[in-house]
Amino acid sequence: MAKTASIRNRIRRLRFDNNEMTQEELANRAGCTRQTIIALEQGKYVPSIELAFKIARVFGVSLEEVFQYEEAM
Amino acid sequence: MAPLQKRALYGLAFGVVWAVAMIVVFIAKGGVGTFSDDQGFRLIVDGLWIGGLIFYGILMFTLRKRNQIDERDRLILGRAPVVQLWAVIFSLVIWTIVLTETYWDQGIPPIFMYIVFIATLAVSAVAQSIGILVGYWKGVSHG
Repeated sequence: MAKTASIRNRIRRLRFDNNEMTQEELANRAGCTRQTIIALEQGKYVPSIELAFKIARVFGVSLEEVFQYEEAM
Repeated sequence: MAPLQKRALYGLAFGVVWAVAMIVVFIAKGGVGTFSDDQGFRLIVDGLWIGGLIFYGILMFTLRKRNQIDERDRLILGRAPVVQLWAVIFSLVIWTIVLTETYWDQGIPPIFMYIVFIATLAVSAVAQSIGILVGYWKGVSHG
């Protein structure tokens, strides 16, 4: 199965803080599929820079407020 | 389920049914001997694999919709040919060994090359779908 990504994200939290935005709505606004949002929230997928910026823009926050890089142990 | 994943499942299901149908028809009609002697039988087999190929193409085309495939799908799709390639190579190796051992003393009749081609085609179609499904199962971790 997929390795745990070293880049974590707060997408689930941010969706909740934005009127409990659905995964489908976030996917539509960011231009990806709902399955990709699910994979992101589960930490199974790290997006491209472009998709990362799009997601941050949907929430109206900076990139680092959505994604945090963590050094691999 | 992602649209591409759904497409791969449909492709896998159809590919398996298609391959099994060809094997069943081939065996039920009398196998290699009849295939060699009976032109009508050859036409049936031709129709089956060419018709299957066209149907497979139509199925893939109709399931393909724009904006339903994103960067993660493209990554998975890009890795699927690895499984496809190994499956085709494996299939060819099996055919080569079986034919060589069976007809070592007689020489390999050209008819078997035809069968090898059909089998390779079917394996290739099915294996791409398997590759996509394996991609979703294993997951891609980076965009």
